[in-house]
Amino acid sequence: MLRKLRKSLIWYVFVAPTFILYALFVAYPTFETFRLSFFQEVATRQEFVGALHYIRLLGNQVFLAALLNTAFLGIIFLMIIVPLSLVMASLLNNLHVWPNLFKAIYFLPQITSTVAVALVFSYVFQPNWGLVNNILRELGVDPLPLWLAEPRYVLTGSRAAVTILAVWVALGYYMLIFQAGLQAVPSELYDAAVVDGAGPLQTWWLITIPSLRPTFIFLFITGTIDAMSRFSDLWMLGGPAGTPARSLQTIVMYVYQTAFESNDFNLASAAAVILFVAVLVLTVVNFRSFLGREFSSQSGA
Amino acid sequence: MASSENISQARSITGLRGLLSSQRNFRRLQQIIIFVIMLIGAVAMIAPFEWMLATSFSRSANVAMPRIPTFWPSDPSTFNYKVAITNLPLARYYLNSLIVTVVSTLGYLFFSSLTGYAFAKGRFIGKSVLFIILLTTLMIPFEIRMIPMYLLMRQLHLSDSYAALILPFISGGFGTFLMRQYISAIPDELIDAARMDGANEFTIYTRVVLPLCGPALAALTVLSALWRWNDVIWPLLVISDRSLFTITFGLAMASRSQGIFTGVALATSAIAILPIMILYLFLQRYIIRGIMLTGLKG
Repeated sequence: MLRKLRKSLIWYVFVAPTFILYALFVAYPTFETFRLSFFQEVATRQEFVGALHYIRLLGNQVFLAALLNTAFLGIIFLMIIVPLSLVMASLLNNLHVWPNLFKAIYFLPQITSTVAVALVFSYVFQPNWGLVNNILRELGVDPLPLWLAEPRYVLTGSRAAVTILAVWVALGYYMLIFQAGLQAVPSELYDAAVVDGAGPLQTWWLITIPSLRPTFIFLFITGTIDAMSRFSDLWMLGGPAGTPARSLQTIVMYVYQTAFESNDFNLASAAAVILFVAVLVLTVVNFRSFLGREFSSQSGA
Repeated sequence: MASSENISQARSITGLRGLLSSQRNFRRLQQIIIFVIMLIGAVAMIAPFEWMLATSFSRSANVAMPRIPTFWPSDPSTFNYKVAITNLPLARYYLNSLIVTVVSTLGYLFFSSLTGYAFAKGRFIGKSVLFIILLTTLMIPFEIRMIPMYLLMRQLHLSDSYAALILPFISGGFGTFLMRQYISAIPDELIDAARMDGANEFTIYTRVVLPLCGPALAALTVLSALWRWNDVIWPLLVISDRSLFTITFGLAMASRSQGIFTGVALATSAIAILPIMILYLFLQRYIIRGIMLTGLKG
């Protein structure tokens, strides 16, 4: 036993640094966020207050608006990026001229920092002389849209502008993941479809898309997590409050503003816990809905 | 743009006649249509960057914006760049970004592969429990733990230091997981042979395991470098000393004060991203391969 433990020792040494850092920067902070959310700073002491902060948050219009906004921006983004990148990846997969050049160009915004991209887009969407409105003016559009200065739910408002920005940034990455998925579709399936006399569109719809299920699961799960924790680009464009009129404020921005501008770490922690629960629930829902479909299609066959 | 569409339309029409005559022309038509769609997308990808460059080189693109910026400046000048360089210690920001990115990436590679090796080939009590603990928390977003992380840094008196920017990121669940998967595929015979020769586990790790991990290490390098270089939220929490700003964070903070000086802001932005883009031109094959291997983005 002792000899076995001594032989094991070296492995513990190999594992130790990761787990010490892990305890400090993952386990402890996650636990501490939960703990803080149930306490309140009174004078310099932390007092237990139960679910007080959660009750406060659920009656807080600003928080609820941020929650709704995060969900809205995330859903719209995924509804656009997933079909668009799937079509573009399928097309690019069939292109024999410069496919790698296009891949590299489409990926360019992804390696550029969100900060720089958001900065450039704040000028691209400038209403008077920005790139987008300049093109619209050439096309005879009048009146020109306000983009980032328009907080209402309209097709040319701030939410639309940041969705265009997000799609522009993420397109190359989503295409890349779809291309990896496309290459994994067994070619026998395609051969069988050709033998059965299916056309290219039929093959795509009946063979390719169902075969991409793992890719869809992966993109929906990671896409949901990214959308729920969205911060940098919107913070650059609208500050922590998501100006104009909080139309760009997400949960993380609310957490940031509450913790670091209002210095209410306890309330901010409660908001972070709600974010955590939302991410967890959505991940499970994404998983189950895709797996559920798999079961039903199996029973149907 | 409009004329290229006309050409493609004209080509489509001639292509349609070809479609009736032979399969080969159909293929060619298909290629042309796909190519044109991809080209339009590529133009949309590059246009904002080109517009940024053109506007940053325009002398008058400041304050009142006297004319509508185009894709080619009518008054080319490096004025905005001179202002940007004198306004901000950009060289210092770059140096800080380099230090933070290189040190945390080296740490991330070292600890991920070392621990990954232990999980892949080691035999010790509690191995699967520890690995499961690591896996279950893989998906906890940074944003959920950032408040206690900030408070911890303050307690440790590490705020406003390189350590604050580096320490939390020199190891990670994802890197460990990836390395463990990769090293598991290395045949046990190789490692056993080295053990027979009397090599200790650390020698095996450096001499046998690491040299076989090239693609995985390259992928982790890409991810870690992109994460650290482009991060803004963590520096926002723990750094207030200007001499410690990274280029990304410095650009973010500067843009809040340069709002009306469009040309200068865009010049600063160009200085911040162009070197990365040039690096990407040379390394894009490895970067894209790394992203495809891990499935994660920068």
